[in-house]
Amino acid sequence: MKKFLATLLALVMVLSLAACGGDKGGETTPPPADTGSTDTQTPPAGSGDKIDISVIAAEYGQNTKEWWAGFQNDFNGSHDGINLNVEVVSWNDIYTVVNTRISNNDAPDILNIDVFADYVADDLLLPAQDYVSDETYAKFYDAFLEQSNIDGTIWAIPDLASARAMYYNKGILEAAGAEVPTTWDELKDVCAKIKAYDSSIYPWGIDMTTDEGQAAFAYYIWNNGSDFTDASGNWTLNADANVEAIEYAISLVKDGYTNSDPATETRYALQDLFGAGKLAMVIGPNSIPTYIADNYAKANTPEEEQIDFAFAAIPTNGGNASVSAGVMDRFMCFDNGHSAEKLEAIKEFFDFFYEDNRYSDWVLMEGFLPATSAGGEIVAASDPDMAPWVDIVGSCKFYPTAKAEWADVKQGVINVEQQALLGGDVQELLDALQSEIAG
Amino acid sequence: MSQPANAVKKPVSIKKTILRVLLYFVVLDVCVITLYPYFAMLCTALKNRVEIFSGDTVLPVVPLWSNFIDIWSRAPMAKYMLNSVLIAGGSTIIAMLCGIPAAYALARMKFKGQTAFLGFVIVSQMFAPVVLLIGIYQVMQRLGLTDNILGLIFINAAFNQAFTIWLLRGTFMGISAEMEQAATIDGCTRVQSMMKVLLPVAAPGIVTTLIFIFINAWNEYTVALCLISTDTYKPLTVGINTFNGYNMIEWQYLFAASIFAIVPVVILFMCIEKNLVSGLASGGVKG
Amino acid sequence: MSTKTPAAPAAELAKKPPRPSGSKKLFRKVEPYIWIAPSIILMAIFIVTPIVKVFQLSLSDVSRAGKIKGFNGLENFTKVLKSPAFSLVLKNTIVWTIAVVVLSTILGFMLALVLNNKFRGRKVARAIVVFPWATTLVIQASAWNFIINKDYGTLNTLLMKLGFISAPVNWTPTPGAYFTWEIACGIFVTIPFVTFCVLSGLQSIDASYYEAATVDGAGYFQKLFSITLPLVKSSLTVATVLNIIYVFNSFPIIWTMTKGDPANYTDTLVTYLYKLAFYNGKQGETSAVSVIGFVILLICASVYMIYTLRKGDDDL
Repeated sequence: MKKFLATLLALVMVLSLAACGGDKGGETTPPPADTGSTDTQTPPAGSGDKIDISVIAAEYGQNTKEWWAGFQNDFNGSHDGINLNVEVVSWNDIYTVVNTRISNNDAPDILNIDVFADYVADDLLLPAQDYVSDETYAKFYDAFLEQSNIDGTIWAIPDLASARAMYYNKGILEAAGAEVPTTWDELKDVCAKIKAYDSSIYPWGIDMTTDEGQAAFAYYIWNNGSDFTDASGNWTLNADANVEAIEYAISLVKDGYTNSDPATETRYALQDLFGAGKLAMVIGPNSIPTYIADNYAKANTPEEEQIDFAFAAIPTNGGNASVSAGVMDRFMCFDNGHSAEKLEAIKEFFDFFYEDNRYSDWVLMEGFLPATSAGGEIVAASDPDMAPWVDIVGSCKFYPTAKAEWADVKQGVINVEQQALLGGDVQELLDALQSEIAG
Repeated sequence: MSQPANAVKKPVSIKKTILRVLLYFVVLDVCVITLYPYFAMLCTALKNRVEIFSGDTVLPVVPLWSNFIDIWSRAPMAKYMLNSVLIAGGSTIIAMLCGIPAAYALARMKFKGQTAFLGFVIVSQMFAPVVLLIGIYQVMQRLGLTDNILGLIFINAAFNQAFTIWLLRGTFMGISAEMEQAATIDGCTRVQSMMKVLLPVAAPGIVTTLIFIFINAWNEYTVALCLISTDTYKPLTVGINTFNGYNMIEWQYLFAASIFAIVPVVILFMCIEKNLVSGLASGGVKG
Repeated sequence: MSTKTPAAPAAELAKKPPRPSGSKKLFRKVEPYIWIAPSIILMAIFIVTPIVKVFQLSLSDVSRAGKIKGFNGLENFTKVLKSPAFSLVLKNTIVWTIAVVVLSTILGFMLALVLNNKFRGRKVARAIVVFPWATTLVIQASAWNFIINKDYGTLNTLLMKLGFISAPVNWTPTPGAYFTWEIACGIFVTIPFVTFCVLSGLQSIDASYYEAATVDGAGYFQKLFSITLPLVKSSLTVATVLNIIYVFNSFPIIWTMTKGDPANYTDTLVTYLYKLAFYNGKQGETSAVSVIGFVILLICASVYMIYTLRKGDDDL
């Protein structure tokens, strides 16, 4: 026994020593990927003078990490004086990681995430034009830059976007004898027909979870001609049209036209139900076709067993114009007291990133949409399926993320939806939320 | 004469057989329920996504063993695994090095503040790591231990002190001090008598504690997530999250990777289990 | 437990060290503190400092990005206590903690008694029981969530294949049902902890007690209550206190399965404060919630320990 314990202790000792050794190695030498370039291209004394740039990037999917690793390699290979380090963090954890770092004054130089207003409120960011060269800055769609405008200054630049539309299963609609719905009334009719045709199929998908419940809120109010705010930017959460929209969404659930538990079934579950042919219609991102095709390719599913689907505009109430919901993520640069050289290095980083071909590669990697017009052209040309989306994304609506209260509004509307699902009164709930946010 | 003897014997053996059967029945049930999630995970890990979401099959139609190979190319699994072993192993050793002397002092010496210390140990556990993240990060930053496996080793060791100290203190107190006193009279120092006399006898308790710390450190997630930024320093728990994407969750990979992740713990446990059973060599017992 | 068992008075013996003299006396006084020093230093640096930070944050005005803007007294606490969701969350936390701890302690104890018997395959059975514990909670919870899913969950598929049900069952029709599943999952992963705590206590019981009791004609349950329970009580008490703390603060199961949805009906304090911190960006209020949680735990754990250990157990 003693012997056993002694051996175990010794073993663990050796291992933990190895760990310390490994760590020290990690601190002094750059990651293995760029060791080659350091050794061969820079003079021995040069490595100490390198400018370090740290980036935290969101992990969009299975290819993101590899893409950034390749990018880091290429960038460090072609920029001798700069040592770029990109850390890719999953979406589930990125807020935890970033907030912890910021509270300890350890913000990254560059951050790729969706929100930015909170950081502006704390004076943590640099204006975009300080760290983006004029040529690169000129590439973005104006409407996209405007999304990061607070008090006349643009604080962040868009890295990519995605847009939403309604997907429908052609086979199910046909079999149920229904046309593609364009209005809310038609939608209910189609749902009823599908229900009558096969009650085991869910006609309509709704996600009201903490994961992305605010998206559902946006789909219905925007397509009822309303919005989170009025034209001058004041919160109008309890506007009559908003109440009407949410009541309509809840009625779809109550009538039994949706997936069984919108409060806990996330969009991941919905897109998989749609892919499996168990859900007839769902509002989803432009990446769904790629995702479904990829699934079939991996499974070698024969053509006749695959679902036949298409996408259309999101149904609206009455004569309102259909509004597609856009989601846009950003790059921002933290004011870590950068030297002029460092700012130049950061400009070089963005120039490198937004080089047209590299940028369109970035966007296509996980099936997103570009935020630059040149990127849009390349993407549209390279992939005909993407072309309509490039048009949609140019005209869709975005969440009011530039407003400081957005985080509370987002959680608030999700709570309203879930309370309403449990039988709460939408008007009362939205009144309460409005007075909490604006009052 | 033999008749009544048989009559007495028979019910006893029937009772015994019934108990045996009942025992096996219970054990079997427990094992089936326990293993069911793993069975489900394994089946899912061997399917493609279309099959997973069709929900039509229990067993995979054609087992897709390539999923298990894919995860190794998708993520540096070997590296994650090694990091986890280092973190769990390192934490175990540091927790023991700090915990054994403290438990010994509590069990064998009388000093002021003894109860206070015991209370402090428990109180120190009362905040969830999620809450302490910001503070922990601050400490690690001061010590230069962010993005460092060593930092995780210390954190895990610290978070397991309560368990280590309380459990070992109980074990030590359950062992008579007579033998150690005899050893002291023979000229051993306190340290020597502890090492040579007490620890071998306390082996089962020590082994239990070892397993506890190892498993807790092996499963730690939140702190590792925030402290480690370099991919190649991540432990398995954090690394596996690679398969939890923005637009999809890759169940088959997530589960395949998770099945790998329990293997080392189960192996460690199987190696050590013998000692858990061996029982105390001698000594009186005091709860 | 005191005189019921023929336990050797180890502590009493330890109290009388061979008579020290002179400078040795001083050393004897200081010695215990040297022994506990490493442990104290370890915890002081890595746990106490962060705890101090939490108290500081709970009394501060903290910006969304996590910057401290200044002292604001008890404002964070009043905001938290005023929030309508808080009482619901507190109730859930208590239900969750009590249900998981009580049921897993009872079941874990029973399982330990079963596994303490000698039988064929005991080694394998024990190894299997370790499984749920050796699996990260996030994965464990994902797996259960996946299993009970109505539309593609493996439980429905299995039961349909076996012919027990003809159509998929919605296992989580109400928030309460979902919470029950979460509790079941919590119990499932906590049982091994209790089982092995008890098992290690059982291992150290001298077989002679049982032999003596058998000679005296004691039955199984008599032995259980007069020998086994008192002897494992101490290790069980500690395990239970730590268990209360761990379960109270448990995060991954609920977070993975429901994130507290719908409308806080399955939230516990920890998931609630996580959302508050990282979704709403309210670090100050988050810290206030955790201080409140800490006080509750402190009271419960103290009461429990005093209550269970009061009777005659002078050394705890």
